[in-house]
Amino acid sequence: MSVLAALRHPVFSIAFTVVCYAVALALHRRWRWVPPIVAASVPIVTLLLAARIPYADYNRGGNLLTWWLGPATVALAVPMYRNGRRLKRSLPRLLLVVFAGAVVGMTTAGGTAWLLGAPIAVAMSAVPKSVTTPIAVEVARELGGIPQITVALVILAGVLGATFGPAILAIFRVREDRSVGVAIGSASHGIGTASLVRRSELQSAVSSWAMAASGVVTSLLAAALALLLRHAKL
Amino acid sequence: MFDQARGLALLVGFFLFGGFLHRVGVPIPGGVLGLLLLYVALTTGLVPLAWLQRAADLLLRHMVLLFVPLTVGLMDLGRVLSRQAFALSASLIVSFLAVLLTTGLLGRWLVAVLPADAEAAE
Repeated sequence: MSVLAALRHPVFSIAFTVVCYAVALALHRRWRWVPPIVAASVPIVTLLLAARIPYADYNRGGNLLTWWLGPATVALAVPMYRNGRRLKRSLPRLLLVVFAGAVVGMTTAGGTAWLLGAPIAVAMSAVPKSVTTPIAVEVARELGGIPQITVALVILAGVLGATFGPAILAIFRVREDRSVGVAIGSASHGIGTASLVRRSELQSAVSSWAMAASGVVTSLLAAALALLLRHAKL
Repeated sequence: MFDQARGLALLVGFFLFGGFLHRVGVPIPGGVLGLLLLYVALTTGLVPLAWLQRAADLLLRHMVLLFVPLTVGLMDLGRVLSRQAFALSASLIVSFLAVLLTTGLLGRWLVAVLPADAEAAE
């Protein structure tokens, strides 16, 4: 087997991806400003381009990693249950807020892209951009979007919230723990939630509940939308 | 080790079952169905939290690894991305601010307007 053939083997793509991820984590631990997802992806793209390996070949292995986003979605039930239990009495209110956020997020993301001339598949890719990656990917597929674009937007929405979220909220005098938590969880999912850990325990608990809840609400709304679209076409 | 294997097996099981329900006609994606079913199972005590906690933490902590392959896929989308760069950036920023402020302000209003509850600490 030639070296190039070995590079195309699914086992190699998985192993190489895991190694790049481990190195990226180490770099991130050393220099906090290095985003792990970028540090992990750049060497892979570079190798594929240099060795002229088509993405589809790499992705025969890559797909096996992507598949685990499904069980990861299921795993979100754990923080949702764990944090939901201690927020019991606020839950109906928080759910209302999450619902409003999901409706606003989906319509403004898809609507803005569409009004600015993006093709429908690209606009649909933007629709789930506020929610956690595994759910966003499922929703994008359901709506006929392009999951790769969705992932990029999801990451950027997370970084925006982690970097500027609490400061923007403070300008509008939103400082109370539950309000900050529900806003960051709804707008910036896991990446935003992780940034709250050092600020306040209650904020990060609410945020981690909200990120799971808004993922669920968004996918339910998208399912209804997908049904409607299918119906309208017939 | 056994702990994590059992947890992962449960998560995969719920995911596959959710996927099965999706294929036979439930319009919700399989992963989300699995999430909802597991949530119910945890709430009713059918599945104890201790069986899952470590496996779930493992998957969620290393979730970035799982979306590396999709991110790498952006390499094939250079044309679309550069042509739609403005629409996508505008959509990202407008929608990010809209969600953040809707939820933040509505949250503040609801917390102020309705009677307080003291579940803050466990």
